[in-house]
Amino acid sequence: MYRRTGFRHMGNLSIKLLGKDIKNPVMNASGTLGYGKEITRLWNIETLGVYVTKGLSIKPHHGNPPPRVWEEKQGMINSIGLQNVGIECFFSEYFPFFKKKKTPVIVNFFGFTEEEYVACARMIEPHPLIIALEMNLSCPNIKKGGISFGKEAGGVYDIVRKVKAVTEIPVIAKLTPEVKDIVEIARAAYEGGADGFTLINTMPVLALDREKRLPVFRGGFSGPALKPIALKAVYSVYKEVPVPIIGAGGIIDYKDAIDFFTAGATAIQVGTATFIDPYSIPKIIQGIKDHMKEYRISTIEDITGCAHE
Amino acid sequence: MDDVQGIVVENSRVVTGYYLITIRLVKSFGKVLPGQFVMLRIPRNTVFLRRPFSIYNYKTRLLSIMYKVVGIGTEALSTLHRDEKVYVLGPLGRGFKKSARRKAILIAGGIGIAGLHLLAKELRQRAVIYFGCESKKEVALLYDLREEMNIYVSTMDGTYGYKGTVVDLLKNRLETIPYNKMEIYACGPEPMLKALKNIIGDIRISCQILVEERMACGLGLCFGCVKKTMDEKEPYKRLCTEGPVFDIWEISL
Ligand SMILES: Cc1cc2nc3c(=O)[nH]c(=O)nc-3n(C[C@H](O)[C@H](O)[C@H](O)COP(=O)(O)OP(=O)(O)OC[C@H]3O[C@@H](n4cnc5c(N)ncnc54)[C@H](O)[C@@H]3O)c2cc1C
Ligand SMILES: Cc1cc2nc3c(=O)[nH]c(=O)nc-3n(C[C@H](O)[C@H](O)[C@H](O)COP(=O)(O)O)c2cc1C
Ligand code: FES
Repeated sequence: MYRRTGFRHMGNLSIKLLGKDIKNPVMNASGTLGYGKEITRLWNIETLGVYVTKGLSIKPHHGNPPPRVWEEKQGMINSIGLQNVGIECFFSEYFPFFKKKKTPVIVNFFGFTEEEYVACARMIEPHPLIIALEMNLSCPNIKKGGISFGKEAGGVYDIVRKVKAVTEIPVIAKLTPEVKDIVEIARAAYEGGADGFTLINTMPVLALDREKRLPVFRGGFSGPALKPIALKAVYSVYKEVPVPIIGAGGIIDYKDAIDFFTAGATAIQVGTATFIDPYSIPKIIQGIKDHMKEYRISTIEDITGCAHE
Repeated sequence: MDDVQGIVVENSRVVTGYYLITIRLVKSFGKVLPGQFVMLRIPRNTVFLRRPFSIYNYKTRLLSIMYKVVGIGTEALSTLHRDEKVYVLGPLGRGFKKSARRKAILIAGGIGIAGLHLLAKELRQRAVIYFGCESKKEVALLYDLREEMNIYVSTMDGTYGYKGTVVDLLKNRLETIPYNKMEIYACGPEPMLKALKNIIGDIRISCQILVEERMACGLGLCFGCVKKTMDEKEPYKRLCTEGPVFDIWEISL
């Protein structure tokens, strides 16, 4: 049940995340809002609670050859291959825009070796607008034959601990759903020092060519069909680790967002929905606010995890 | 540029497999440049992502798109009826750059004519069209341009005009063209663009091409729509924001 409070303060969207005050609990998911400026042809970047960067690496990365996107029922598959301008270029070319707009940023990053993750974390200087570093643990580990870093508890513990050791910025672990037990992985990341979680990344999938009867496309699945998987991940991890969770996966409207809060998320990220309706993010923010007023909810915190009672 | 609601006015078949849809937008798009495109949300639950289509025509909130049925999305699009609501995001991308003086050669392969139609309407007598298609029936895609412009046609099966590819047709006539005073605009399947690049390899003629790739957002957000470029420093460029019109020498075909 929702906890009900007095009528006066209904619909306060602000949250506290990793010690910072954030004006609303809605972020974009990494890699789904370009470098930030692109969307400002339609709405202001300040609309976001936090902007999450595209996955960044120590050096620019060119990504995969096209085709990079594929349609599925109730979702899409992407194989962008982590194309990005690199950390240095992001901070010289794009970060000033967020400073000007006073928009908080979560820096998503990845590496192909443990050393690259550590080097990334070292490169990023603390700044009042940088809320956290988001470690993309779904990235293929070239040293271990391309198996992603996030699949094995021992490896997750090690890499999080090494990254934590070189940065003062809070570290969020973003986990892949393609694991036997996501709770076990989350516990390992928490023991390694993770200050929070983003659950979940895309699901590795495959598409076949019906005529040739051979694979035509492989990549990460995102969109509405991912939602129940992501929701269960948030629900299961919430009880096991005492740090904030950011929910992501298939969130299309404010109702999905509310589900994630009640499952245990402090904030949410919207990805693929923006491709279908570029106004999804502002609409979800407004929808959450209206819902809170209607149900007399004063803050998001009041409903976070309430599905567990 | 905005995501604008529209109402289908007409969605009729041009010839088997090809349609022309006209949509009345509830709000104006503002200025539209030839070569720009829209991301159309097709209101059928078999279709998840939006689909990109060139702006075939745009005048006082009336937008039209000419399309070929090739798969799930375009198939669903062909079932839309009058008064149905759609969402149209646009106008998107960089259009063709026009020079004030020079004469133009427009080269279209099949449904590629849809991407050049608006340009042809603007250039009129300053342009000639080279149009290539499979067979006589597709000549219908030239539609209103047939009366207004100077057109050379080629068909693969020889049922209309020159028998062979449109690039071969152009090649045969290349000597007659004063290319220092000309420029080329092309839209069509990749083999056509490749062949074009080969035949103009030695002559210095300005050539812009409108290219296609699968898209998700159309807004530069996802990096899903890239084309391979000739630039080693930036080997992949977003078609939806840096294109869909490129200089032919910029793209690796
Ligand atoms: C800038 C731009 C302008 C375009 N303008 C027009 C136009 O005016 N008229 C028109 O008929 N088509 C146009 N297209 C192509 C059109 O977008 C595709 O034909 C359409 O998306 C196919 O959707 P589908 O669901 O029917 O096909 P699907 O079932 O998705 O795929 C069927 C086939 O179409 C190909 N295909 C899918 N998406 C694209 C794509 N975006 N570009 C090229 N091939 C694709 C696939 O490789 C496959 O072979 C344009 C594409 C771009 C990028
Ligand atoms: C085109 C695209 C690019 C993405 N790029 C990244 C990335 O660089 N780093 C990352 O951690 N996740 C990336 N993701 C995953 C999303 O951030 C998100 O976790 C996932 O898409 C699920 O959310 P959604 O269903 O709302 O899209 C990407 C997803 C898409 C669709
Ligand atoms: S379609 Fe998303 S970046 Fe071009």
